[in-house]
Amino acid sequence: HLADTLIQRNLQEWISTACRFATDRNDFRRNLLVNLGLFAARVWVARNLSDFDLMSPQPIT
Amino acid sequence: MGSVLAASSPPPPGSGVVQGAPGLVSAPPGFSMPSVPPPSVPGQPAGETGSPLPNPGTYEECHRKCKEVFPIQMEGVRLVVNKGLSNHFQVSHTVTLSTLAESGYRFGATYVGTQQTGPAESFPVMVGDMDNTGSLNAQVIHQLTSAVRSKIAIQTQQHKFVNWQCDMEYRGDDFTSAVTLGNPDVLLGSGIIVAHYLQSISPALALGGELVYHRRPGEEGAVTSLMGRYTGNNYVATLTLGGAGAHATYYHRANDQLQLGVEFEGSMRTQETAVSFGYQLDLPKANLLFKGSVDSNWVVGAVLEKKLLPLPLSLALGAFLNQKKNKFQCGFNVTVG
Repeated sequence: HLADTLIQRNLQEWISTACRFATDRNDFRRNLLVNLGLFAARVWVARNLSDFDLMSPQPIT
Repeated sequence: MGSVLAASSPPPPGSGVVQGAPGLVSAPPGFSMPSVPPPSVPGQPAGETGSPLPNPGTYEECHRKCKEVFPIQMEGVRLVVNKGLSNHFQVSHTVTLSTLAESGYRFGATYVGTQQTGPAESFPVMVGDMDNTGSLNAQVIHQLTSAVRSKIAIQTQQHKFVNWQCDMEYRGDDFTSAVTLGNPDVLLGSGIIVAHYLQSISPALALGGELVYHRRPGEEGAVTSLMGRYTGNNYVATLTLGGAGAHATYYHRANDQLQLGVEFEGSMRTQETAVSFGYQLDLPKANLLFKGSVDSNWVVGAVLEKKLLPLPLSLALGAFLNQKKNKFQCGFNVTVG
């Protein structure tokens, strides 16, 4: 019962922190995290785009 | 933005003349400008002197490979006519018609000297252009010794000097250092000094720093930043961290046709961040070059360059769309010669 209470309290705290971040008027921090995530995603895309050949012959349909 | 010729043969990375940089002039296409050997990738042989570490290049070049992938914003119509008068001298005529900027005519001249230091390097190099109002951009680059290179740049607005700067660069076996003096005014006691240092730590890793000191009557200050660059087989990752913010770029060469670039910029001072993604498709068999970009500010842009062979003519079409601000901008360039 004590463990359940602790887990519930931690979960509530985590949810309230996440809500506070989402509604925080400090847009710079939110934008920074979003843009860092976008940067990482685009680096991943760039590293995986290697099989691209515009001059390859078109497949016969 | 340059012609297809310049784009298909990428400008030497060490050139002190960068298109689009404020206060500097662009080298006419087809002219060899002083170049700097690119930083070696792992596994490449060491430098000529036998040092195990290669020269890392200059501080300004580190982000350049990624920046070159992105399209340059074009607006209005521009006609450029280049004419080589000899192996050492070339002139250019540029007519610009624009709604945002001033329309006008520019006359440019480039002289490359006879002191040849390499297969594609000759010194001194003098580049200048003047518009119809009398505003001048001029630059002189000279190799003083095998390791020391100097550059003087001047920009005027009609009769008034706006920018004047002088810099010296020293290339060691595994490091490069440079000092730039900007707008020095002895009478007022003002000016800007910029010092760069870049050191090869390993064949792939280079670390460096920048110090900017500015002074004017009643005010002085300094800003420092640190930079790291890692070079892989087909990619370059660079990070600059300073008091003003952070700048990270990632360049990837997917294959012979496709190059990609990702850029992140964050400023603590303006509390803004932005991410851009750009790509460059190069099809020399089709005489075609296409650059596209999209960024986190909802700006989408593209530039298409096409050589119209057998004519000595290049055509460039560019368009940028800002979705957030509902603004659209397009441009059209024709380059002859």
